[in-house]
Amino acid sequence: MLSFSSYFSSGYLAVYLPVCVLLYALAGQRGRRVVLLLFSAVCFWAVSGKLIAYLLLSTLSIHHFGLWLSDVQDRSKAELAAAPKEERKALRARAQTHQRWILALGLSIQFGILLVLKYSPFAVTNLNNLFSALGLSYSLRVPRFLLPIGISFYTMQAASYLFDVYRQKCSADRNLFRLALFLGFFPQVMEGPICRYGQTAHQLWEAPPLRYQNFMLGLQRMSYGLLKKMIIADRLNLLIKNVFTHYENYDGIAIAVAAVCYTIQLYMDFSGTMDLAVGAGQIFGFQLPENFQRPFFSRTIPEFWQRWHITLGTWFKDYIFYPLSMSKPLKKLTSKARKRLGSHYGPLVAGTIALFCVWVCNGLWHGSAWSYLFFGMYHFALILLGNLTQPVTDKLTGALHISRTSLPYRCFQIVRTGLLVCIGELFFRANGLRAGLAMFERMVTASTLEPLRNGTIFQIGMSRKDFFIVALLLGAIFVIGLLQERGIHLGTRLAQALIPVRFVVYYGVILALIIFGAYGDGYVPVDPIYAGF
Amino acid sequence: MTYCKRILAWLVFLAGLLGLLLLASRICIPKNNDSLSGMEQARANGILAEPPESIDILVLGDSEAYTSFSPLLLWKDTGYTSYTCGTNSQRLPYTKTMLERALEKQRPKLVILETLAIYRPIKLDSIASDEAAKYLPVFRYHNRWKDLHWNDFTTAPITATEQAPYKGHTHNETVDPCLNVDYMAPTQEPAATIPLVNQYYVNAIQELCEDYGAQFLLLSTPSPVNWNYARHEGIAAFAQEQGYEYLDLNLENVGIDWTQDTFDKGDHLNHFGAVKVTKFLSNYLRGKDGLIDHRSDPAYGDWNDKLKAYENLISH
Amino acid sequence: MEELLTILNEIQPDVDYLNCDELIDGHYLDSLDILSLVSEMEDAFDITIPTVEIIPDNFNSAQRLWEMIQRLREEG
Repeated sequence: MLSFSSYFSSGYLAVYLPVCVLLYALAGQRGRRVVLLLFSAVCFWAVSGKLIAYLLLSTLSIHHFGLWLSDVQDRSKAELAAAPKEERKALRARAQTHQRWILALGLSIQFGILLVLKYSPFAVTNLNNLFSALGLSYSLRVPRFLLPIGISFYTMQAASYLFDVYRQKCSADRNLFRLALFLGFFPQVMEGPICRYGQTAHQLWEAPPLRYQNFMLGLQRMSYGLLKKMIIADRLNLLIKNVFTHYENYDGIAIAVAAVCYTIQLYMDFSGTMDLAVGAGQIFGFQLPENFQRPFFSRTIPEFWQRWHITLGTWFKDYIFYPLSMSKPLKKLTSKARKRLGSHYGPLVAGTIALFCVWVCNGLWHGSAWSYLFFGMYHFALILLGNLTQPVTDKLTGALHISRTSLPYRCFQIVRTGLLVCIGELFFRANGLRAGLAMFERMVTASTLEPLRNGTIFQIGMSRKDFFIVALLLGAIFVIGLLQERGIHLGTRLAQALIPVRFVVYYGVILALIIFGAYGDGYVPVDPIYAGF
Repeated sequence: MTYCKRILAWLVFLAGLLGLLLLASRICIPKNNDSLSGMEQARANGILAEPPESIDILVLGDSEAYTSFSPLLLWKDTGYTSYTCGTNSQRLPYTKTMLERALEKQRPKLVILETLAIYRPIKLDSIASDEAAKYLPVFRYHNRWKDLHWNDFTTAPITATEQAPYKGHTHNETVDPCLNVDYMAPTQEPAATIPLVNQYYVNAIQELCEDYGAQFLLLSTPSPVNWNYARHEGIAAFAQEQGYEYLDLNLENVGIDWTQDTFDKGDHLNHFGAVKVTKFLSNYLRGKDGLIDHRSDPAYGDWNDKLKAYENLISH
Repeated sequence: MEELLTILNEIQPDVDYLNCDELIDGHYLDSLDILSLVSEMEDAFDITIPTVEIIPDNFNSAQRLWEMIQRLREEG
């Protein structure tokens, strides 16, 4: 079977997706559902093989727990209606506890799989380190698991469904296949966006007939993603790979350049993948939630996180931040603290505790390593610092008569936020926390302008021309983003433009992809030279 | 827009796209066959610069093909002209492409295929992209946008003038011995299997040879790292089934001394190994149908000059 | 309603609560403001606001907030 490892593989773009679209176009409504389900299974199989069992297990388990929850809810409603008023409170509390247990059990199956597969190697390694630090000659075997691809994404989606049923935000789905399609819809199963049941389950099951306009808009969106990924992200890799693996050979300024390049690469790669996912959804006529909203126009770190990987952020907000900060003990804390500390610092206490948990989860969600945890803590610290100093900066800007809405001040904020994000991504990409710290130190202490002046910066893997082409496309993306900020969407305008205009643009995009795309000889990671003879 | 108009628009669009890709290919394709002009695999493609119908034996395959066999030594022994088109980890689709390219100007009497390439897995999507690149070279040479000159827009594509110094062979006198000398001991293991796609390509290469009147020989050159009895059995069975001639030098008395004759612990032969293999082949090929000793032919004087330069290099 | 507006003004004074209908979507109230708001409203109106109710739709305007409070009071 033709396998693929990412949405950018030729197998997916040239075979799986087109065949699926073709069959979808030919089938009737029930047929269209079958096509979507079938391709979701086939694609997952092509990527992860037998590990598809985990996806099926997840689906079966949330189907079962969803129904169980709704059963208990229905029964307690009937009981409540029949019971006299004074007993209702106790009854409701009992039903609540019962449901809570079911939810906890269902969630622990979802997260249990994730924890065992993804985090146990990390935990055991650290436990062994602890043993040896304590002088105990005892060590556990570090388990190694094959991770089904996308497990971190569909686990979040499955958990959100259970939460939503528990909170009666949506009713439990009796249809196993609808639930399976919601969880495993192939354009998004590997890298998100993390959808909520209410957002996509029913649209997907609706499986509307293919419409030409949607098809073209979807293709357009997908080509935008391809441009980002093939021209920028893959090309930047030439430099990033060199600097991050042998940072000790490079000047501090080169590390700074690499950190910025990596942040750009990450954004282009991830948002490009999202363009492919949302675009593919659009082809079929679905509206998947957006994951990015031009994050580099953000003025503060919290705003950045409202615009970057949005579906993950809102997941944490809805299912961790609010439940925690609205829990009884923390609520009490808030009202007490407000009386003592005032309305700014008061809620900050409980909020900070909840925020801390969110960022531990956010860091670890990205991967099981100390550097990811550090990344989470870094952003937690930045947000906390921003909250703590807010009254001071408010006063300061007031006293200095700096208008917070003036263009220079906004630009300052945007640049500052961008730089802080780049520093965070440096730790995110570095090979371990120790390397990250060493790189940061080198960047701060050993930076000279020499590499820029004598041009050695252009010898790390990317030549002047590579930088030029990257800068050119980034400029174009910046302009498109700026227009989107003002509510102008070039894509929809293009779809309505005259045929010659459309042809010219489409030709331009396709030729740019073929000529300037970073594919073929010299771009694949090169094996040790003799090994491949 | 009506259905027909839409289809028409798509057809016009695709035709225009094809035209643009042909134009881009014309611009991006290298204008000579050396690496400075951007030619891929310049050593193997040196065959494009050999005079027409001057090569009698063509050797195809991966790195084994150009390390184990030296055309100039064969010339010295027998006066047969040969060229090796081996490239690093070559896969059969590219082998076929190399053969097609060589056949544009050459009419070899014998084509030798080194057998390690037969076992290299072929990815389906790489076949597709290789085929696309054959007709629209922009897919292979798109990176040349960085070094385009004015003459890329004006000159005709590939006029090959650059010959490789050793007719495709690389010279290496380093020694890094190999300890596993017993690698060909017969085992109970079943014969190695050749994937169907790979079988298809070997047969296609053989058919191409037949069409051009060349004999076809499968050859396994000595290599403890890459070869073993199961692999031998696999090729032997396949060759017998298809009626191909097969020679496995791992089992012949070539006289390889694994403490001296390899430069990377038995993966590839060095110069001393290549001398022995070429000597063995000289004897094996001598008198084969259609092969002519050109040593006294003044038209081939160039070969003697090349040999002299090569021998100078060896003696140093 | 008066009481609610007092609470809102205490938490974030620079907003015209009578006319604004995108308190959340327009980023007028951040998550910490919501924490204060919830604890204040619970004290003032003797209700418990479950996490399910914390959605932009319920918090986007003073009117919507007021509707939620009344609903929760009735459910008691």
